Amino acid sequence: MSVPTSTVSLTGVGKRYGRTVALADVDLTFDRGVTGLLGPNGAGKTTLLRIVATSIAAESGEVRLLGRDPHRSHGEVTAVRRQLGYLPQELGYPSDMTAFGFVEYVAVLKEWNDREDRAREVRRVLGVVGLADQATVRISKLSGGQRRRVGLAQALIGNPQLVVLDEPTTGLDPAQRADLRRALSELGNSSAVLLSTHQTEDVAALCERVVVLAGGTIRFDGAVTDLVATAVGRVWLADEPGEDALVSWRTGTGRHRVVGGTPAPGADLAEPTLEDAYLLMLGPDLRPAHATS
Amino acid sequence: MSPVSPPVSRIGGQRAMAAIEARRMARHPVFLLGVALGFGVLGLYFVLVTDETGVRVVLTLPLLGAFYIGLTTVIAAALLTRSTEVADEAVATAPGTEAGRTLALAAAGVPPFVAGLVFTVSLVVAAQIVGVAPQEWWFGTLPDWQVWSIVLMCPVACLDGALLGVLTGRWLRFRGASAIVVVALVAITLLGQAPLLETGSSEWRLWVPWAIFSTGDNADGTQTLIAGNPAAYLGYLLALGVLAILGAMWHDPTVRTPRFRAVVAAVALAALALFALAVTTGNHDNRFSDPIPSRVTS
Repeated sequence: MSVPTSTVSLTGVGKRYGRTVALADVDLTFDRGVTGLLGPNGAGKTTLLRIVATSIAAESGEVRLLGRDPHRSHGEVTAVRRQLGYLPQELGYPSDMTAFGFVEYVAVLKEWNDREDRAREVRRVLGVVGLADQATVRISKLSGGQRRRVGLAQALIGNPQLVVLDEPTTGLDPAQRADLRRALSELGNSSAVLLSTHQTEDVAALCERVVVLAGGTIRFDGAVTDLVATAVGRVWLADEPGEDALVSWRTGTGRHRVVGGTPAPGADLAEPTLEDAYLLMLGPDLRPAHATS
Repeated sequence: MSPVSPPVSRIGGQRAMAAIEARRMARHPVFLLGVALGFGVLGLYFVLVTDETGVRVVLTLPLLGAFYIGLTTVIAAALLTRSTEVADEAVATAPGTEAGRTLALAAAGVPPFVAGLVFTVSLVVAAQIVGVAPQEWWFGTLPDWQVWSIVLMCPVACLDGALLGVLTGRWLRFRGASAIVVVALVAITLLGQAPLLETGSSEWRLWVPWAIFSTGDNADGTQTLIAGNPAAYLGYLLALGVLAILGAMWHDPTVRTPRFRAVVAAVALAALALFALAVTTGNHDNRFSDPIPSRVTS
């Protein structure tokens, strides 16, 4: 099955909560592959993800998902939801259910009606997230990271064409994150995956494209390498913390990594990371929260 | 990895979801507690409660099943209904609607119905085996269909308990809501019928959701069969249950189509008609059994 062009197309999308502007005039299109969404808390990431996941409606602008307008009719939104997987930022679980039971419940809602097919699919997605051995354990007895993976498993049922993941790596240890990256990169070959995270290394490892959101508007939309390139020549390793640096910290080698500002005498240019570029991109917005150390 | 599309069948989906909800109810600790209490007390009655001649006093016991199983089921069903709301954001973006999920929750009434039925069958079989006073078989004056209507009120009350629980879970979000509904249900049942039982208008008690048709032993050793048509009343109870589940489905704004409204109106009219039948047909006056000498207390 081929993914239609412009799997997701948002044009001039806006959303307010009372007087607070969550999203303002956002234009965004993306297709097959993994698109990373970065931004500070309150940037509007979760609102954007909820709109793409048909959980809430945009107040203005046009939303097209899988070639359909989800606001047009119940039939349209249902057709989108048949090809949608969504992991919300905060997902609770019924206390009486096992991992298998919960994912099976969602599978039924996703119209996996044949019992054997459904059981096979549930076992598959639990295997993808590394929970095959915990399938019969009550969710209330699982760790936070394991619960997060149960949530991820339900989003992967049926290999949906559009997958929306809000902070999927929260609570996962490095090995689990590596497994998840492998699963998501494989999923990105056939599906459009929108991934919101605070973990820039996940975006650097997984995404071809990154969108930086701040204050409800898009600050950057392009290739990960292009965002990293914006930081070239602005990151140093120095013996002293940078006086006017955006951020600087003492590394394990004893030298200071200085991001932004003017280089101190004897500073050496360092290869920037996605995180450096992200911090520089948001610069003034981050200053109150990231003091120079 | 390529997208996998399951075959779409609304009926198949409802059936699968209903099976899940029925299983969840069958394992719910509050429901299991109610079942254990109901059967435990039933057993104790058979062992401990006899009259002066050693005859078991058991035929008022259908009330026990409705009390222990039916009332705990209200709480269990409300908790089940609320439990999936913690995952609402993921659940709500699946193709199924809230109304569909609510309808599936109606299947949570199956285990309580079966438990109530087993309770009633156990009672009747045990009563046959251990023996009861002949006057007590609902006086031998009722046609069988009326007797069986009274007998079936226990499982139907247990079923209705689940449906009322689903209604409660959908609409009342505060903590302890289902317990308050249980207390209100008991209060309405008692206060709504007790003042009318011994009057010439006793059939008007039948508006309450659990009306009694037999008083058990009176002080003079008789038993009173209270007026009204038990079969129509049983139908009225079923209609109330259907109204409860429709009311729960009403919580989903997308379901409030003209067709759905017409269904609600039709069921409400049916409930009214069955209530009117229950009041105006069947036994028009209270009847009294011959005294059971060993039960005379005054």
